[in-house]
Amino acid sequence: MTQARVLGLPSLPRVVLPHPIGGTTMDTIAPKLDAAFEDILAGLTTPLPITAAGSAAVLRAERIDVPAGDDAWDDAQREFMRRGWGDGLPMVPPTPARVQAMLRFVDHAPDHVVAALAPRMGAATVEAIAVNAVMAGCRPVHLPLLIAAVHAMAERRFNLYGIQATTHCVSPLLIINGPLARVMNINGSTGMFGPGPWDNGVVGRAIRLLLLNVGGAVPVEIDKSTMGHPAKYTFVMAENEDASPWPSLRAERGYSDEVTTVTVVGAEGPHNINDHESITADGLLKMIAGSMAQPGQNNVYYAAEPLLILSPEHSATIAGGGYDKDSLKRKLFEDARVPLSMFSRENIERRMHRKFPELYKNAPDDVGVRLAHRPEDFMVVVAGGPGKHSMYVPTFGGTLSVTESIAHSDGRPYLGSDFGE
Amino acid sequence: MLLCSPEGFPLPLALAAAPRPARLDGLRIGLLDNTKAPVDKMMDYLADRLRDRIPGVTIFRIAKKHPSMQAEREVIEAVAQNADVVINALGD
Repeated sequence: MTQARVLGLPSLPRVVLPHPIGGTTMDTIAPKLDAAFEDILAGLTTPLPITAAGSAAVLRAERIDVPAGDDAWDDAQREFMRRGWGDGLPMVPPTPARVQAMLRFVDHAPDHVVAALAPRMGAATVEAIAVNAVMAGCRPVHLPLLIAAVHAMAERRFNLYGIQATTHCVSPLLIINGPLARVMNINGSTGMFGPGPWDNGVVGRAIRLLLLNVGGAVPVEIDKSTMGHPAKYTFVMAENEDASPWPSLRAERGYSDEVTTVTVVGAEGPHNINDHESITADGLLKMIAGSMAQPGQNNVYYAAEPLLILSPEHSATIAGGGYDKDSLKRKLFEDARVPLSMFSRENIERRMHRKFPELYKNAPDDVGVRLAHRPEDFMVVVAGGPGKHSMYVPTFGGTLSVTESIAHSDGRPYLGSDFGE
Repeated sequence: MLLCSPEGFPLPLALAAAPRPARLDGLRIGLLDNTKAPVDKMMDYLADRLRDRIPGVTIFRIAKKHPSMQAEREVIEAVAQNADVVINALGD
Protein backbone atom coordinates (compact mmCIF):
# COMPACT_ATOMS: atom_id res chain seq x y z
CA MET A 1 0.00 0.00 0.00
CA THR A 2 2.97 2.30 0.47
CA GLN A 3 3.81 1.89 -3.19
CA ALA A 4 0.20 2.55 -4.15
CA ARG A 5 0.38 5.77 -2.18
CA VAL A 6 3.65 6.76 -3.82
CA LEU A 7 2.20 5.98 -7.23
CA GLY A 8 -0.70 8.35 -6.67
CA LEU A 9 -3.29 5.76 -5.62
CA PRO A 10 -3.51 6.11 -1.85
CA SER A 11 -7.09 4.85 -1.88
CA LEU A 12 -6.45 1.69 -3.90
CA PRO A 13 -9.05 -0.60 -2.38
CA ARG A 14 -7.94 -3.58 -0.38
CA VAL A 15 -9.67 -6.27 1.59
CA VAL A 16 -7.79 -7.95 4.41
CA LEU A 17 -8.62 -11.49 5.42
CA PRO A 18 -7.56 -12.14 9.00
CA HIS A 19 -4.55 -14.38 9.56
CA PRO A 20 -3.83 -17.23 9.57
CA ILE A 21 -4.06 -17.97 5.83
CA GLY A 22 -0.87 -19.93 5.12
CA GLY A 23 -0.99 -23.42 6.55
CA THR A 24 -4.78 -23.47 6.67
CA THR A 25 -7.41 -25.05 4.47
CA MET A 26 -10.47 -23.78 2.65
CA ASP A 27 -12.62 -24.93 5.56
CA THR A 28 -11.44 -21.84 7.44
CA ILE A 29 -10.63 -19.56 4.50
CA ALA A 30 -13.96 -19.84 2.66
CA PRO A 31 -15.97 -18.17 5.46
CA LYS A 32 -13.44 -15.32 5.49
CA LEU A 33 -13.81 -14.90 1.73
CA ASP A 34 -17.60 -15.05 2.01
CA ALA A 35 -17.55 -12.31 4.63
CA ALA A 36 -15.35 -10.13 2.42
CA PHE A 37 -17.07 -10.87 -0.89
CA GLU A 38 -19.27 -7.77 -1.08
CA ASP A 39 -16.28 -5.57 -0.20
CA ILE A 40 -14.30 -7.21 -3.00
CA LEU A 41 -17.05 -6.44 -5.52
CA ALA A 42 -17.36 -2.89 -4.24
CA GLY A 43 -13.61 -2.42 -4.56
CA LEU A 44 -13.82 -3.29 -8.26
CA THR A 45 -16.64 -0.89 -9.08
CA THR A 46 -16.28 2.12 -6.78
CA PRO A 47 -14.59 5.07 -8.51
CA LEU A 48 -11.20 5.96 -7.08
CA PRO A 49 -10.41 9.49 -5.98
CA ILE A 50 -7.12 10.06 -7.78
CA THR A 51 -4.50 11.90 -5.81
CA ALA A 52 -1.65 12.90 -8.02
CA ALA A 53 1.82 12.28 -6.73
CA GLY A 54 3.89 15.39 -6.12
CA SER A 55 4.90 17.13 -9.30
CA ALA A 56 8.44 17.97 -8.27
CA ALA A 57 10.93 16.27 -6.01
CA VAL A 58 12.39 18.11 -3.06
CA LEU A 59 15.93 16.87 -2.94
CA ARG A 60 17.43 18.85 -0.07
CA ALA A 61 16.84 17.71 3.50
CA GLU A 62 14.11 19.64 5.27
CA ARG A 63 15.34 21.73 8.20
CA ILE A 64 13.28 21.26 11.34
CA ASP A 65 13.35 23.72 14.20
CA VAL A 66 13.03 21.81 17.48
CA PRO A 67 12.28 24.06 20.46
CA ALA A 68 15.17 23.61 22.87
CA GLY A 69 14.52 23.18 26.56
CA ASP A 70 17.00 22.50 29.32
CA ASP A 71 18.49 19.45 27.63
CA ALA A 72 18.89 19.62 23.85
CA TRP A 73 19.83 15.93 23.63
CA ASP A 74 16.63 14.81 25.33
CA ASP A 75 14.58 17.25 23.26
CA ALA A 76 16.00 15.79 20.07
CA GLN A 77 15.30 12.20 21.19
CA ARG A 78 11.69 13.07 21.99
CA GLU A 79 11.30 14.69 18.58
CA PHE A 80 12.70 11.59 16.85
CA MET A 81 10.20 9.36 18.63
CA ARG A 82 7.31 11.73 17.96
CA ARG A 83 8.07 11.70 14.25
CA GLY A 84 8.54 7.92 14.15
CA TRP A 85 12.16 8.15 13.03
CA GLY A 86 14.78 5.58 13.76
CA ASP A 87 15.24 2.16 15.31
CA GLY A 88 14.16 2.88 18.90
CA LEU A 89 17.68 3.55 20.18
CA PRO A 90 19.01 7.04 20.91
CA MET A 91 20.41 8.83 17.85
CA VAL A 92 22.91 11.61 17.32
CA PRO A 93 21.01 14.85 16.49
CA PRO A 94 21.68 15.62 12.80
CA THR A 95 22.47 19.29 13.03
CA PRO A 96 23.36 21.05 9.75
CA ALA A 97 26.96 21.38 10.96
CA ARG A 98 27.26 17.64 11.63
CA VAL A 99 25.69 16.79 8.27
CA GLN A 100 28.02 19.19 6.47
CA ALA A 101 31.00 17.59 8.21
CA MET A 102 29.80 14.14 7.16
CA LEU A 103 30.08 15.21 3.50
CA ARG A 104 33.79 15.95 3.87
CA PHE A 105 35.19 13.13 1.74
CA VAL A 106 32.59 12.91 -1.03
CA ASP A 107 32.55 14.86 -4.27
CA HIS A 108 28.93 14.15 -5.20
CA ALA A 109 26.48 17.04 -5.03
CA PRO A 110 24.39 16.80 -1.85
CA ASP A 111 21.19 16.56 -3.90
CA HIS A 112 22.53 13.79 -6.12
CA VAL A 113 20.04 10.92 -5.98
CA VAL A 114 21.99 7.72 -5.37
CA ALA A 115 18.85 5.56 -5.51
CA ALA A 116 15.17 5.45 -4.72
CA LEU A 117 14.64 3.05 -1.83
CA ALA A 118 11.63 0.74 -1.97
CA PRO A 119 8.85 0.52 -1.06
CA ARG A 120 8.40 4.22 -0.30
CA MET A 121 10.70 5.10 -3.20
CA GLY A 122 12.30 7.73 -1.03
CA ALA A 123 15.14 9.62 -2.65
CA ALA A 124 18.39 8.48 -1.04
CA THR A 125 20.31 11.64 -1.89
CA VAL A 126 23.89 11.98 -0.77
CA GLU A 127 22.67 14.43 1.85
CA ALA A 128 19.91 12.10 3.10
CA ILE A 129 22.49 9.32 3.44
CA ALA A 130 24.71 11.73 5.35
CA VAL A 131 21.87 12.72 7.71
CA ASN A 132 21.16 9.10 8.57
CA ALA A 133 24.87 8.40 8.93
CA VAL A 134 25.14 11.18 11.49
CA MET A 135 22.15 9.83 13.41
CA ALA A 136 23.70 6.33 13.46
CA GLY A 137 27.01 7.61 14.86
CA CYS A 138 29.08 7.19 11.70
CA ARG A 139 32.19 9.18 10.76
CA PRO A 140 32.80 10.98 7.44
CA VAL A 141 35.10 8.18 6.29
CA HIS A 142 32.07 5.88 6.17
CA LEU A 143 29.95 7.92 3.78
CA PRO A 144 31.48 6.63 0.51
CA LEU A 145 30.85 3.09 1.75
CA LEU A 146 27.23 3.89 2.58
CA ILE A 147 26.68 5.47 -0.84
CA ALA A 148 27.97 2.33 -2.56
CA ALA A 149 25.84 0.09 -0.35
CA VAL A 150 22.68 2.11 -1.02
CA HIS A 151 23.31 1.94 -4.75
CA ALA A 152 23.83 -1.81 -4.53
CA MET A 153 20.65 -2.38 -2.51
CA ALA A 154 18.59 -0.61 -5.17
CA GLU A 155 19.67 -3.05 -7.89
CA ARG A 156 16.59 -4.93 -9.02
CA ARG A 157 18.11 -8.37 -8.43
CA PHE A 158 18.63 -7.54 -4.75
CA ASN A 159 14.83 -7.25 -4.42
CA LEU A 160 14.76 -4.59 -1.73
CA TYR A 161 11.04 -4.33 -2.36
CA GLY A 162 10.54 -7.83 -1.00
CA ILE A 163 13.22 -7.61 1.67
CA GLN A 164 11.63 -4.53 3.21
CA ALA A 165 8.14 -5.92 3.57
CA THR A 166 8.34 -9.70 4.01
CA THR A 167 7.28 -11.70 7.06
CA HIS A 168 10.75 -13.34 6.90
CA CYS A 169 13.51 -11.96 9.16
CA VAL A 170 15.87 -10.93 6.35
CA SER A 171 18.21 -7.98 6.67
CA PRO A 172 20.96 -6.67 4.38
CA LEU A 173 24.36 -8.01 5.42
CA LEU A 174 27.28 -5.85 4.24
CA ILE A 175 30.56 -7.60 3.46
CA ILE A 176 33.48 -5.23 3.05
CA ASN A 177 36.51 -6.36 1.05
CA GLY A 178 39.73 -4.49 0.52
CA PRO A 179 42.23 -2.07 1.98
CA LEU A 180 39.71 0.53 3.17
CA ALA A 181 38.17 -1.90 5.66
CA ARG A 182 41.05 -1.02 7.99
CA VAL A 183 40.76 2.71 7.27
CA MET A 184 37.04 2.56 8.03
CA ASN A 185 37.67 0.44 11.13
CA ILE A 186 35.49 -2.41 9.86
CA ASN A 187 36.42 -5.58 11.71
CA GLY A 188 36.75 -8.91 9.93
CA SER A 189 38.48 -10.76 12.73
CA THR A 190 37.71 -11.76 16.33
CA GLY A 191 34.25 -10.64 17.40
CA MET A 192 33.45 -8.85 14.15
CA PHE A 193 29.68 -9.08 14.58
CA GLY A 194 30.12 -7.34 17.89
CA PRO A 195 30.13 -5.96 20.37
CA GLY A 196 33.39 -4.07 20.30
CA PRO A 197 35.12 -0.76 19.65
CA TRP A 198 34.99 -0.95 15.87
CA ASP A 199 32.68 0.64 13.34
CA ASN A 200 30.73 -2.35 11.97
CA GLY A 201 27.90 -1.42 14.33
CA VAL A 202 27.40 2.19 13.29
CA VAL A 203 27.73 1.48 9.57
CA GLY A 204 25.09 -1.24 9.72
CA ARG A 205 22.89 0.97 11.82
CA ALA A 206 23.09 3.73 9.20
CA ILE A 207 21.87 1.22 6.60
CA ARG A 208 18.93 0.31 8.83
CA LEU A 209 18.05 3.96 9.46
CA LEU A 210 18.07 4.57 5.71
CA LEU A 211 15.78 1.60 5.14
CA LEU A 212 13.44 2.94 7.81
CA ASN A 213 13.53 6.68 7.23
CA VAL A 214 13.99 6.79 3.45
CA GLY A 215 12.75 3.37 2.33
CA GLY A 216 9.75 3.53 4.64
CA ALA A 217 10.09 0.04 6.15
CA VAL A 218 8.25 1.00 9.29
CA PRO A 219 7.75 -2.13 11.39
CA VAL A 220 4.17 -3.42 11.68
CA GLU A 221 2.88 -1.05 8.99
CA ILE A 222 5.27 -2.04 6.17
CA ASP A 223 7.95 -4.33 7.59
CA LYS A 224 5.86 -7.37 8.38
CA SER A 225 8.68 -9.52 9.77
CA THR A 226 6.95 -11.96 12.08
CA MET A 227 9.66 -11.74 14.75
CA GLY A 228 12.10 -9.13 13.50
CA HIS A 229 15.74 -10.00 14.13
CA PRO A 230 18.76 -8.55 15.98
CA ALA A 231 20.59 -8.38 12.64
CA LYS A 232 18.04 -5.80 11.54
CA TYR A 233 19.73 -3.31 13.88
CA THR A 234 23.12 -3.76 12.25
CA PHE A 235 24.85 -6.47 10.21
CA VAL A 236 28.29 -5.69 8.84
CA MET A 237 31.55 -7.65 8.45
CA ALA A 238 34.81 -7.48 6.56
CA GLU A 239 36.36 -10.51 4.93
CA ASN A 240 39.60 -11.49 6.67
CA GLU A 241 41.50 -11.66 3.40
CA ASP A 242 44.92 -11.98 5.05
CA ALA A 243 43.80 -15.18 6.76
CA SER A 244 42.15 -16.74 3.71
CA PRO A 245 43.81 -19.47 1.66
CA TRP A 246 41.64 -18.57 -1.34
CA PRO A 247 40.81 -15.61 -3.59
CA SER A 248 38.58 -13.11 -1.81
CA LEU A 249 34.96 -12.39 -2.64
CA ARG A 250 35.97 -9.19 -4.45
CA ALA A 251 38.59 -11.10 -6.48
CA GLU A 252 35.97 -13.69 -7.44
CA ARG A 253 33.84 -10.83 -8.71
CA GLY A 254 36.57 -9.31 -10.80
CA TYR A 255 37.88 -6.43 -8.70
CA SER A 256 41.58 -5.65 -8.42
CA ASP A 257 43.65 -5.39 -5.27
CA GLU A 258 43.46 -1.62 -4.80
CA VAL A 259 39.65 -1.53 -5.02
CA THR A 260 37.54 -1.79 -1.88
CA THR A 261 34.11 -3.27 -2.37
CA VAL A 262 30.89 -3.69 -0.48
CA THR A 263 28.66 -6.68 -1.12
CA VAL A 264 25.06 -6.59 0.05
CA VAL A 265 23.43 -9.91 0.88
CA GLY A 266 19.76 -10.39 1.77
CA ALA A 267 20.57 -12.53 4.78
CA GLU A 268 19.08 -14.31 7.71
CA GLY A 269 20.95 -14.19 10.99
CA PRO A 270 24.03 -16.42 11.20
CA HIS A 271 24.00 -19.90 12.71
CA ASN A 272 27.15 -21.13 14.43
CA ILE A 273 28.96 -24.30 13.31
CA ASN A 274 31.12 -25.71 16.10
CA ASP A 275 33.68 -28.32 15.11
CA HIS A 276 36.71 -28.73 17.35
CA GLU A 277 37.38 -32.35 16.51
CA SER A 278 37.60 -32.80 12.74
CA ILE A 279 41.18 -32.65 11.56
CA THR A 280 40.53 -33.58 7.94
CA ALA A 281 38.84 -31.49 5.28
CA ASP A 282 36.23 -34.12 4.52
CA GLY A 283 35.48 -34.65 8.20
CA LEU A 284 35.00 -30.95 8.75
CA LEU A 285 32.92 -30.57 5.60
CA LYS A 286 30.63 -33.36 6.75
CA MET A 287 29.90 -31.32 9.87
CA ILE A 288 29.51 -28.08 7.93
CA ALA A 289 27.25 -29.53 5.25
CA GLY A 290 25.17 -31.25 7.90
CA SER A 291 24.79 -28.01 9.83
CA MET A 292 23.67 -26.16 6.70
CA ALA A 293 21.06 -28.76 5.75
CA GLN A 294 18.02 -27.46 7.65
CA PRO A 295 14.50 -27.84 6.27
CA GLY A 296 12.97 -24.57 7.53
CA GLN A 297 15.16 -22.13 5.59
CA ASN A 298 14.10 -20.15 2.53
CA ASN A 299 17.00 -21.50 0.51
CA VAL A 300 15.28 -24.84 0.01
CA TYR A 301 12.38 -23.10 -1.73
CA TYR A 302 13.89 -20.31 -3.82
CA ALA A 303 16.89 -19.76 -6.08
CA ALA A 304 19.40 -18.51 -3.58
CA GLU A 305 23.00 -17.87 -2.63
CA PRO A 306 23.63 -19.55 0.73
CA LEU A 307 26.58 -17.95 2.53
CA LEU A 308 29.25 -19.87 4.44
CA ILE A 309 31.56 -17.80 6.65
CA LEU A 310 34.56 -19.99 7.42
CA SER A 311 36.88 -19.20 10.29
CA PRO A 312 40.57 -19.00 9.34
CA GLU A 313 41.32 -22.27 11.16
CA HIS A 314 38.48 -24.15 9.47
CA SER A 315 39.42 -22.71 6.06
CA ALA A 316 43.03 -23.83 6.55
CA THR A 317 41.89 -27.38 7.30
CA ILE A 318 39.69 -27.44 4.19
CA ALA A 319 42.36 -25.92 1.94
CA GLY A 320 44.87 -28.38 3.42
CA GLY A 321 42.69 -31.17 2.05
CA GLY A 322 43.18 -29.84 -1.46
CA TYR A 323 40.01 -27.82 -1.86
CA ASP A 324 39.94 -24.56 -3.75
CA LYS A 325 36.83 -22.41 -3.72
CA ASP A 326 35.29 -24.02 -6.79
CA SER A 327 35.70 -27.57 -5.54
CA LEU A 328 34.48 -26.51 -2.10
CA LYS A 329 31.32 -25.05 -3.62
CA ARG A 330 30.73 -28.23 -5.61
CA LYS A 331 31.15 -30.24 -2.41
CA LEU A 332 28.61 -28.05 -0.60
CA PHE A 333 26.21 -28.28 -3.53
CA GLU A 334 26.31 -32.07 -3.41
CA ASP A 335 26.49 -32.65 0.35
CA ALA A 336 24.53 -29.81 1.95
CA ARG A 337 21.14 -31.26 1.13
CA VAL A 338 18.11 -31.75 3.29
CA PRO A 339 16.58 -35.25 3.13
CA LEU A 340 13.04 -34.93 1.82
CA SER A 341 11.99 -37.08 4.77
CA MET A 342 12.74 -34.13 7.08
CA PHE A 343 9.85 -32.19 5.51
CA SER A 344 6.27 -32.69 6.61
CA ARG A 345 3.94 -34.44 4.24
CA GLU A 346 2.02 -31.17 3.85
CA ASN A 347 5.18 -29.30 2.82
CA ILE A 348 6.14 -32.01 0.38
CA GLU A 349 2.74 -32.02 -1.27
CA ARG A 350 1.82 -28.34 -1.06
CA ARG A 351 5.19 -26.78 -1.77
CA MET A 352 7.93 -29.14 -2.99
CA HIS A 353 5.75 -31.03 -5.47
CA ARG A 354 4.18 -27.79 -6.67
CA LYS A 355 7.33 -25.70 -7.06
CA PHE A 356 9.76 -28.39 -8.18
CA PRO A 357 7.75 -31.25 -9.69
CA GLU A 358 10.65 -32.32 -11.90
CA LEU A 359 12.90 -32.83 -8.85
CA TYR A 360 10.66 -34.13 -6.10
CA LYS A 361 7.29 -35.25 -7.50
CA ASN A 362 8.27 -38.91 -7.83
CA ALA A 363 11.35 -38.83 -5.64
CA PRO A 364 12.07 -41.24 -2.77
CA ASP A 365 11.95 -39.84 0.77
CA ASP A 366 15.73 -39.90 1.13
CA VAL A 367 16.39 -37.66 -1.89
CA GLY A 368 18.37 -34.55 -0.92
CA VAL A 369 16.75 -31.14 -1.31
CA ARG A 370 19.31 -28.67 -2.62
CA LEU A 371 20.10 -25.28 -1.09
CA ALA A 372 21.02 -23.64 -4.39
CA HIS A 373 20.35 -24.26 -8.04
CA ARG A 374 24.04 -24.30 -9.04
CA PRO A 375 27.34 -24.96 -7.20
CA GLU A 376 28.60 -21.46 -8.05
CA ASP A 377 25.64 -19.93 -6.24
CA PHE A 378 27.19 -20.81 -2.88
CA MET A 379 29.07 -17.89 -1.38
CA VAL A 380 32.17 -18.63 0.73
CA VAL A 381 34.16 -16.03 2.64
CA VAL A 382 36.80 -16.32 5.37
CA ALA A 383 36.39 -14.16 8.46
CA GLY A 384 36.62 -14.12 12.23
CA GLY A 385 39.57 -14.79 14.50
CA PRO A 386 41.17 -17.84 16.11
CA GLY A 387 38.81 -20.64 17.04
CA LYS A 388 36.94 -23.60 15.65
CA HIS A 389 33.67 -21.85 14.87
CA SER A 390 32.31 -21.03 11.43
CA MET A 391 28.91 -19.65 10.52
CA TYR A 392 26.17 -20.50 8.06
CA VAL A 393 24.04 -17.62 6.85
CA PRO A 394 20.88 -18.67 5.01
CA THR A 395 19.44 -16.00 2.76
CA PHE A 396 16.00 -14.67 1.94
CA GLY A 397 15.91 -16.64 -1.28
CA GLY A 398 14.25 -14.12 -3.56
CA THR A 399 17.38 -12.01 -3.67
CA LEU A 400 20.80 -12.04 -5.27
CA SER A 401 23.84 -10.37 -3.73
CA VAL A 402 25.27 -7.25 -5.34
CA THR A 403 28.89 -6.06 -5.18
CA GLU A 404 29.91 -2.46 -5.80
CA SER A 405 33.22 -0.67 -5.60
CA ILE A 406 33.59 2.25 -3.20
CA ALA A 407 34.18 5.00 -5.71
CA HIS A 408 34.18 8.72 -6.36
CA SER A 409 31.46 10.33 -8.47
CA ASP A 410 33.61 9.77 -11.59
CA GLY A 411 34.07 6.08 -10.83
CA ARG A 412 37.66 6.23 -9.52
CA PRO A 413 38.06 3.91 -6.55
CA TYR A 414 38.67 5.48 -3.18
CA LEU A 415 42.18 4.90 -1.86
CA GLY A 416 43.59 5.34 1.61
CA SER A 417 45.18 8.62 0.49
CA ASP A 418 41.70 10.07 -0.09
CA PHE A 419 41.20 9.93 3.66
CA GLY A 420 44.64 11.30 4.57
CA GLU A 421 46.10 7.84 5.17
CA MET B 1 17.89 23.65 17.67
CA LEU B 2 17.90 23.09 13.93
CA LEU B 3 17.91 19.47 12.69
CA CYS B 4 18.04 17.96 9.21
CA SER B 5 15.27 15.52 8.31
CA PRO B 6 16.46 11.99 7.53
CA GLU B 7 13.45 11.31 5.29
CA GLY B 8 14.28 11.30 1.62
CA PHE B 9 11.47 12.85 -0.40
CA PRO B 10 9.42 10.19 -2.23
CA LEU B 11 10.29 10.51 -5.89
CA PRO B 12 7.16 11.45 -7.85
CA LEU B 13 5.93 8.74 -10.16
CA ALA B 14 2.98 9.67 -12.30
CA LEU B 15 0.65 6.74 -12.96
CA ALA B 16 -3.06 6.90 -13.65
CA ALA B 17 -5.58 4.29 -12.57
CA ALA B 18 -7.89 2.80 -15.17
CA PRO B 19 -11.49 4.00 -14.77
CA ARG B 20 -13.67 1.72 -12.69
CA PRO B 21 -16.66 0.04 -14.36
CA ALA B 22 -20.06 0.72 -12.80
CA ARG B 23 -21.08 -2.93 -13.26
CA LEU B 24 -19.16 -6.17 -13.69
CA ASP B 25 -21.66 -7.92 -15.98
CA GLY B 26 -19.95 -9.48 -18.98
CA LEU B 27 -16.51 -8.24 -18.00
CA ARG B 28 -13.22 -10.11 -17.73
CA ILE B 29 -11.96 -10.34 -14.15
CA GLY B 30 -8.25 -11.02 -13.69
CA LEU B 31 -7.13 -13.03 -10.66
CA LEU B 32 -3.43 -12.42 -10.04
CA ASP B 33 -1.86 -14.44 -7.24
CA ASN B 34 1.54 -14.48 -5.55
CA THR B 35 1.93 -18.29 -5.75
CA LYS B 36 1.98 -18.87 -2.02
CA ALA B 37 -0.19 -21.71 -0.80
CA PRO B 38 -3.16 -21.68 -0.38
CA VAL B 39 -3.80 -18.69 -2.64
CA ASP B 40 -4.53 -20.99 -5.59
CA LYS B 41 -7.40 -22.61 -3.72
CA MET B 42 -8.61 -19.19 -2.57
CA MET B 43 -8.69 -18.07 -6.18
CA ASP B 44 -10.56 -21.24 -7.25
CA TYR B 45 -13.19 -20.46 -4.66
CA LEU B 46 -13.35 -16.78 -5.55
CA ALA B 47 -13.65 -17.58 -9.27
CA ASP B 48 -16.62 -19.85 -8.58
CA ARG B 49 -18.34 -17.21 -6.49
CA LEU B 50 -17.77 -14.53 -9.14
CA ARG B 51 -19.18 -16.77 -11.89
CA ASP B 52 -22.23 -17.57 -9.78
CA ARG B 53 -22.86 -13.94 -8.96
CA ILE B 54 -22.05 -11.95 -12.11
CA PRO B 55 -23.82 -12.66 -15.43
CA GLY B 56 -21.50 -13.32 -18.36
CA VAL B 57 -18.28 -12.84 -16.43
CA THR B 58 -15.08 -14.55 -17.57
CA ILE B 59 -12.11 -15.23 -15.33
CA PHE B 60 -8.45 -14.78 -16.32
CA ARG B 61 -6.00 -16.52 -13.97
CA ILE B 62 -2.30 -15.67 -13.75
CA ALA B 63 0.45 -15.79 -11.12
CA LYS B 64 3.66 -13.93 -10.44
CA LYS B 65 6.79 -16.06 -10.79
CA HIS B 66 8.06 -15.28 -7.29
CA PRO B 67 5.97 -14.33 -4.28
CA SER B 68 8.26 -11.62 -2.92
CA MET B 69 9.22 -9.94 -6.17
CA GLN B 70 7.29 -7.41 -8.17
CA ALA B 71 5.20 -8.85 -10.99
CA GLU B 72 7.20 -9.38 -14.16
CA ARG B 73 6.51 -7.08 -17.11
CA GLU B 74 5.03 -9.94 -19.18
CA VAL B 75 2.64 -10.75 -16.34
CA ILE B 76 1.50 -7.14 -16.12
CA GLU B 77 1.06 -6.94 -19.89
CA ALA B 78 -0.92 -10.18 -19.92
CA VAL B 79 -3.23 -8.84 -17.22
CA ALA B 80 -3.69 -5.58 -19.12
CA GLN B 81 -4.61 -7.47 -22.30
CA ASN B 82 -6.88 -10.06 -20.77
CA ALA B 83 -8.70 -8.39 -17.89
CA ASP B 84 -10.95 -5.37 -17.37
CA VAL B 85 -10.52 -5.40 -13.60
CA VAL B 86 -8.02 -7.26 -11.44
CA ILE B 87 -8.01 -8.83 -8.01
CA ASN B 88 -4.47 -9.29 -6.72
CA ALA B 89 -4.39 -11.74 -3.84
CA LEU B 90 -1.46 -12.35 -1.53
CA GLY B 91 -1.33 -15.66 0.27
CA ASP B 92 1.05 -15.90 3.23
